[in-house]
Amino acid sequence: MVLAAKVLVKEVRMEKQHAPVEIALRDVSVSYTVASAGHKTVLSEVNLDIYAGEFVAVLGETGCGKSTLLRLVLGQEFPTSGSIVVDGKQVSRIDARCGYVPQKYSLFPDRTMIQNVMYGPENAYCGWPGRLLPSYRAFQRKLRIEAEEQLVRMGLRATDLNKYPHQLSGGMQQRVAIAQALMMKPPVLLMDEAFSALDPSTRASLQQQLRGIWQELKPTVLFVTHNTSEALLLGTRLIIIGPHRENSQQSNVLLDMALPQSSDTIAVRKQSREFLELREFVKLQAYGSHSRQDEIQPVPETFRQGELL
Amino acid sequence: MSTLPVVGHLADIQGRPRRLWTQSLSWVLFLIGIFAYTQFSIVRHKENPEDRVIPSGTQLWQGIKASVLEPAEEDDSLDPSATTFQRITHSMIWKDTVASSRRFFIAIALLIPAILIGLHMAVFPYAEAFFLRFVLFFDKIVALSLLPILFIVFGIDEWSKIMLMVIGVGPTLMLDTYNIAKSVPREQIVKAFTLKSTNLDVAYRVILKQIMPQVINSVRLNLKPLALFLFAGEMIASTDGLAYRIAIMRRHMGMDIIIPYLLWVAVLLFGMDALLRVANRRLHPWF
Repeated sequence: MVLAAKVLVKEVRMEKQHAPVEIALRDVSVSYTVASAGHKTVLSEVNLDIYAGEFVAVLGETGCGKSTLLRLVLGQEFPTSGSIVVDGKQVSRIDARCGYVPQKYSLFPDRTMIQNVMYGPENAYCGWPGRLLPSYRAFQRKLRIEAEEQLVRMGLRATDLNKYPHQLSGGMQQRVAIAQALMMKPPVLLMDEAFSALDPSTRASLQQQLRGIWQELKPTVLFVTHNTSEALLLGTRLIIIGPHRENSQQSNVLLDMALPQSSDTIAVRKQSREFLELREFVKLQAYGSHSRQDEIQPVPETFRQGELL
Repeated sequence: MSTLPVVGHLADIQGRPRRLWTQSLSWVLFLIGIFAYTQFSIVRHKENPEDRVIPSGTQLWQGIKASVLEPAEEDDSLDPSATTFQRITHSMIWKDTVASSRRFFIAIALLIPAILIGLHMAVFPYAEAFFLRFVLFFDKIVALSLLPILFIVFGIDEWSKIMLMVIGVGPTLMLDTYNIAKSVPREQIVKAFTLKSTNLDVAYRVILKQIMPQVINSVRLNLKPLALFLFAGEMIASTDGLAYRIAIMRRHMGMDIIIPYLLWVAVLLFGMDALLRVANRRLHPWF
């Protein structure tokens, strides 16, 4: 079964991209000095070109460095060696080139839903003194309409606009967080396990919505997740990061492949035989490289009937 | 009416006392205190009808009237035709309350920079490097031990007492604000920068706004230390103020004045705390 899946993957190997490179990582390594463990390398010799408009899902075991990879692109951390270029410029600090949706604490708790979404464009419009001008009021009125549209597009109700984050469910908070990031129209959207704290049905609905928004706006998305199905259903490209092996110069990138695309909905796609076979193969690659490799079983027949994870 | 069952015994963690029970229980210790005081007073007055250590209800009432309606000994006496309002505004307790409150509020105003320094220490790494070690060390200096230096530097007038409060509470407030601001999730700061915030936006519009309710709670907790330092300063060198009056009355064994003064100070601090609590709830409905 695994062999069959490998054949399938061969068929969907990454095609040559014609879009410009949006994110480029060159010989990136990250290592720390840890008091208990000495020198610890998290990422080693990572070379990646991510093209504009790609939806890149990053998968890997806990602690393998996938969130580190995202923080490097964001400018929150810096590589020990190598360079990172986003939107044509070297990354040296956190800025508005990247939109960011973390797993939690994604909204400002002291602002209502609409205020959270308006926060970014307000900053972009002018500094503090400019907010005293009458033109700022007119801008705010226009912005509010745009923010409301963005929130409604994310499936939120207009009656909830003045609610504070603590009054919203986890799913609603993440919807607002995505709307907040998209309001800035960033060339790159970074999502760090953004859906992992949500229940399965909310998660499925948000996946569908995110996929729709990506198809409409085509930002470059770097989506870090633990969930194999989510990575395969959302991404156009999959990168599997593996743990760094000490005394090895090998890159952490275990697999970098284009993913098959389909016009079917996520609900339909995740029941297809191809998807299930691919998922088993990817699971084996991402999580089965050690002792667990023996535990991986061929795809059970029940999965083919549409049973979910 | 609640449909939840009322669990019977008082030591039950899962107990749900009715509102009437809760209200009644909250007053029990006050009543016990008043009862115990009255009993001690009765016993002492049986032994010595002129006893002034635990004044009787009548003595206390006379003391309250004297504090609220008569001027201090050092002031001129009032015209007998003066109205009640004039009597109150020229009374001993009024004069002392105004004097102590002025010092108290000036000190609170001077503590605002302490909050901002704490915020900057938490947000700006260079400010943290510059201030933190010194503030941590300075916080350990017992403020009262600085009193002689303060008297030399600021004289024995108002500023020595105000500075005692500022020096006594300032470092604690700085460190408290620093810790609160440090606990703001990193994701919030990262997110703010991705939304085109400037450094000042992050410090003031993201972090300060978020931590303000906790900072106000910290100020509430520091009201008593502030009053403590105020009392220490006033008891040592002052010509007016609530603590000055208590110190003077102690020499004359004037418990009939001291006890109302003590209760008045507690009421003032309790009122200020309640005011800050209500303001916090109103200003920060999201907290």
